[in-house]
Amino acid sequence: MMAAVIAVAPTRMELIKLRRRVGLAQRGHDLLREKMDALVIEFFEILRRIRGVRERAFTQLGVAFKRLSRCCAAMGTIETTQAAREARRELQVEVGTRHVMGVVVPVLEAVEVERPPTARGYSIHTTSALLDEASKEFERALKLLLELAELEESARAVGRELERTKRRVNALEYVIIPRLRAVVKFISMRLDEMERENFSRLKRIKAILERRG
Amino acid sequence: MSEERLIKLELGRLNIHLPERRVSLKEALSSPKPCVVTRDGGTHLFKREELDFLAKLLPEAERERLQLPILIAIDPKLGRGAARISGEVEVKVAAAILGKKAEGELLIYRPEVALLRRKLPTTTQYFFVPG
Amino acid sequence: MSFKIAVIGDRDTAIGFALAGATYTHVHVEKESTLSKLTELLAARDVGVLLITHRVAEGLEPELRWVMREKGVFPVVLKIPDKTGHVPRVDELLEVIRRTVGAEVVVRAEAG
Repeated sequence: MMAAVIAVAPTRMELIKLRRRVGLAQRGHDLLREKMDALVIEFFEILRRIRGVRERAFTQLGVAFKRLSRCCAAMGTIETTQAAREARRELQVEVGTRHVMGVVVPVLEAVEVERPPTARGYSIHTTSALLDEASKEFERALKLLLELAELEESARAVGRELERTKRRVNALEYVIIPRLRAVVKFISMRLDEMERENFSRLKRIKAILERRG
Repeated sequence: MSEERLIKLELGRLNIHLPERRVSLKEALSSPKPCVVTRDGGTHLFKREELDFLAKLLPEAERERLQLPILIAIDPKLGRGAARISGEVEVKVAAAILGKKAEGELLIYRPEVALLRRKLPTTTQYFFVPG
Repeated sequence: MSFKIAVIGDRDTAIGFALAGATYTHVHVEKESTLSKLTELLAARDVGVLLITHRVAEGLEPELRWVMREKGVFPVVLKIPDKTGHVPRVDELLEVIRRTVGAEVVVRAEAG
């Protein structure tokens, strides 16, 4: 990272350059802090939505599993497994991206998750209605889980960017800017000191010249 | 100079999510896959429910004038947490959602920004004013 | 663009989601082959979403962490409970929140 000591010659030119660096660092800090604040808003909004979906999704999944075990108990596990193999398993998910500031976040949209029993692919005649029920519950669960998947992935991505931005803001606020300001102060004082020394020297020379002439 | 380079890099990334060209609400509504291309070459999708919601707020004539995404301008000079909405139709929409009067430029504060973002997550975007 | 759904878990999980339309399913038997299948599915160009049960995911550690790091935005991976409802003691998401915004906020979040 940055050198521990900023080695600069105590000149007026350097002071001007340093002041400019402080200005840039301060502006950068303020803007990044706004970005951080905005990311916090986004992050918590995603979390709020997750809270709404997660419980529903997992509860529905539990219901689906219960129906499935009922189905296996009635139809037999082998027959159920066979039906699963015969099922039409080409569910399409539309996938896209949206941007939350610099963060790319997935957008998922399932195309017709819930299907009528005749569209599922297994034979209606050789399977029990319990199979239809189990399938329906899993379709419902899948729809909710897709929503949850999008939200959790978004939370992770936004959270990462928030962490990163926070580190940058803190580095600027607690390390970089104070250091720069300290050097500006030091150089400024040094320049004043040099000017005072110069001024005294000129006074002495003037006194000598006056005494002579 | 390393901190200068770092800062310039971060500042360069600030608005990278904004599109090269915005699209009107009318255009977005009639498109099968409404989206914009971001400055870094990515795609940003608009959710249909948001577009429909916006359409309900505006008469047909104004749908052509509403440019998407609506920009929420963050300028540190306004103070921390403050933002600005500009554009006659954009202001009208934002004011309607926030329950405020639509006049000139709209100055809003953090909880209002949060509400706008909640209602229109894909059709609004932050714009950081470099100043 | 349209993509398919993949599921990794126990047999009941695989059956259930197959009935719902998931294209690729893998029943976990042992670590090596599951990890290999996972890597394959993550790299597949037609998989948009991958569901994996928490129980299986735990069994794949620590290699899982490494494999997931290599992943891009897609496919989107979600860990789900299996029929026993098993979820890990440590909520990964809560950990992300804790790291990001601090412990006090987590308490508030947990309280709902």
